[in-house]
Amino acid sequence: MKRLLLLLATFISVAGSITVARAETTLEKISQTGIFTIGTRTGSPPFAYVNKNNEWVGFSIDLVETSILPLISKKLNKQIKLEKKESAPNTRIPLLTSNAVDLIAETMSDTQSRREQVDFSLTFFATGAQFLVKRGTPIKGIQTIAGKRIAAQQGSTNAKIIRERVPTAKLLEFPDQPAAFQALAQGQVQAYTNDGIQLAGLKAKAPKPDEWAIVGEFFSYEPYGMAMRKNDSDFRQVVNVGLMEAIESGKYFELYEKWFGPKGEVPYPLAPETKRFLQMQVVPK
Amino acid sequence: MIEFRDVDKWFGSLHVLKRINLKVSGGEVVVVCGPSGSGKSTLIRCVNRLESIQSGEIIVDGQSLLDPKFDPSKLRTDVGMVFQSFNLYPHMTVLQNITLAPTKVKGLAAGEAEKVAKELLDRVGIPDKAGVYPANLSGGQQQRVAIARALAMKPKIMLFDEPTSALDPEMINEVLEVMTDLAHDGMTMVVVTHEMGFARRVAHRVVFMDEGQIIEEGKPETFFGAPQSPRAQQFLGKILSH
Amino acid sequence: MTYNFDWSVLWRGQSGLWLLQGLVTTIEISVVAWVVAFTLGIFSGAVRTVSITPLRWLASFYVEFFRNVPLLVWMFFWYFAVPPLLPQPLQDWLFDHGAEFWAGVVALGVYHGARFSEVMRSGIQSIPKTLFEAAVSTGLTMAQAYRLIIIPIALRLIIPPATNESLNLIKNSSVALTIGVAELTFQTRQIETYTAKAFEALTAGTLIYLVLCLAIATTMSQLEKRFAIPGMITKRQTGEF
Ligand SMILES: Nc1ncnc2c1ncn2[C@@H]1O[C@H](COP(=O)(O)OP(=O)(O)OP(=O)(O)O)[C@@H](O)[C@H]1O
Ligand SMILES: [Mg+2]
Repeated sequence: MKRLLLLLATFISVAGSITVARAETTLEKISQTGIFTIGTRTGSPPFAYVNKNNEWVGFSIDLVETSILPLISKKLNKQIKLEKKESAPNTRIPLLTSNAVDLIAETMSDTQSRREQVDFSLTFFATGAQFLVKRGTPIKGIQTIAGKRIAAQQGSTNAKIIRERVPTAKLLEFPDQPAAFQALAQGQVQAYTNDGIQLAGLKAKAPKPDEWAIVGEFFSYEPYGMAMRKNDSDFRQVVNVGLMEAIESGKYFELYEKWFGPKGEVPYPLAPETKRFLQMQVVPK
Repeated sequence: MIEFRDVDKWFGSLHVLKRINLKVSGGEVVVVCGPSGSGKSTLIRCVNRLESIQSGEIIVDGQSLLDPKFDPSKLRTDVGMVFQSFNLYPHMTVLQNITLAPTKVKGLAAGEAEKVAKELLDRVGIPDKAGVYPANLSGGQQQRVAIARALAMKPKIMLFDEPTSALDPEMINEVLEVMTDLAHDGMTMVVVTHEMGFARRVAHRVVFMDEGQIIEEGKPETFFGAPQSPRAQQFLGKILSH
Repeated sequence: MTYNFDWSVLWRGQSGLWLLQGLVTTIEISVVAWVVAFTLGIFSGAVRTVSITPLRWLASFYVEFFRNVPLLVWMFFWYFAVPPLLPQPLQDWLFDHGAEFWAGVVALGVYHGARFSEVMRSGIQSIPKTLFEAAVSTGLTMAQAYRLIIIPIALRLIIPPATNESLNLIKNSSVALTIGVAELTFQTRQIETYTAKAFEALTAGTLIYLVLCLAIATTMSQLEKRFAIPGMITKRQTGEF
């Protein structure tokens, strides 16, 4: 018992004093090791996932590979290798702060509270929360979910909003998308809420896509950004310039077509106002 | 009271009782002896059906154990048994050990059962140990409680399987005294023991077993004075030289 | 650059309430599942030591089958695979009344029941067989001998390994978050996603589990002392029953 208490005390004092001591900047670190490490998903098509041929690919990964990696190599004047590590909503920030990865490039929404922990790049994709339902169910959007059983991804901003705006809805949070979709398919829940683009991906992948419908206006705004360690503006500048150049040169829209075009993984037409918004983020040279 | 008719028993391929024929009448005290592994324990365990037999018949108190209507629990209320390792219930006091079966099996009222238990403790010579737990008793005291526990069911027959073998020498007599009293009160008893003094003094008959067979049986004075079979002679030679 | 600890996230906003709700749910699911597991374990563990062969086989089948399939699979089984077998109105009623909680209870209870069963069986087997024989020799039936003698003694003997199993059950209750039960681990993750303070949330969760487990371990060792069989503790140290 005494020994346990001692252990407890040690644990607390160690936890209290962990400081991830690091003198060098991200660019210095990349230059030294020759490796640029990103944290990304394995199951979030088409942003980042492992495809049928067992290749780790996706829109977010393509953006890094074609627009950010070459810029880093150019800036450091040497060939830099890209490495990918798996990240998940609850490991992203620790991965960054512990130096295990240099950039989170997946489907992470930029939020004010997250900005207290990490810095974000420009928004590279904008979406918002909607509902996936069986075609023909009465749920039409957030106004019609009172008393209904709704699945959400655990800890997502969508879950937070529903809890605040429709407290009578019975919210069930699942740690991953397959479990949530399974619950929807079997009737444990009547709708599944997530970012519209995620739902589109899920629908496209479903055995019978026509059985499912994505309904409702966006009831949240989910701007996806790439996250990096706080207060490292040289590195952030490289990432942002990479993204701006991709938008300006049209490379971004080629990639968009590849992944979200009619023949892409998840057809999801680019709304004119979204395109305009992306372009307006590009500041003059 | 007890009758074995051509009884055979196997443990797997091991033939432990071979065509046993034995009769014990009411009030008789029979001592069973023989070398280790000869089947003595198995023999008496068949009487209260702790072991079942493969052929032959056993009749206890007029009832055949092969009878389809036979109920082992019912039989066991009439046949008390005392083991080498006293087997008291360690989580219960002496009093609870003794009153458990009378209240649970016979439905005796708690007060009534306790009265009986106290009389029995008196009889086995430890009236002051009612509230004590078994672990706090000496071996001899534990065995006497075990006898009292068996007697509490007012059995017609008592079986003893080497009741003194686990005891220190100075405690053996206190247990044998209780058994002697019991015999003098007319209890039908089958006792597996190597206590030849007890056998001489108390037994009406001695049964000698070897390799699953009854080799010889007779009055103690005959058996000890002039054993017939070479095996019994050899066995007695060994025992008495100790 | 250093990681800035900000422990105040744990009491600012809703975090404190969430931790409390998570703790309550963890205790609820663990207690109900424990009762299921303990009952199943005692019963099937005892049955595995009796001489009635079909019953023993049934109990052995239960133990081997449930113990050797991962808990996560059982969670999904009871939550996703079982409800579709029920009539539609019952399904809807269940889904409206915390189906995930009850699926979690059944999964944890049945899985840990199989593990308790093993603990119980070895407890009973450490009791000399002649004690059982002595009990039935006085006319007690087999069921009475188990109920009055064998099981009460075994229960005292198994307190230390049963405490271990109980703590495992509490820790394993966090697997229920995969089917959406908002227990303690779920809530620490929630705090983490809302405040982006991973270390703080994780530490808070870990400490709560630690305190919970310490409290149970202490209570159980008190219980062990309270119900110790007189004379047995010293005997056990010398290797006797
Ligand atoms: N449950 C059992 N399963 C298999 N074999 C057994 C069993 N019980 C006894 N035996 C064997 O049966 C034979 C007779 O055993 P039993 O216990 O009746 O002998 P015993 O005369 O009482 O010996 P001891 O003086 O050593 O007590 C022995 O060879 C013993 O190993
Ligand atoms: Mg013997």
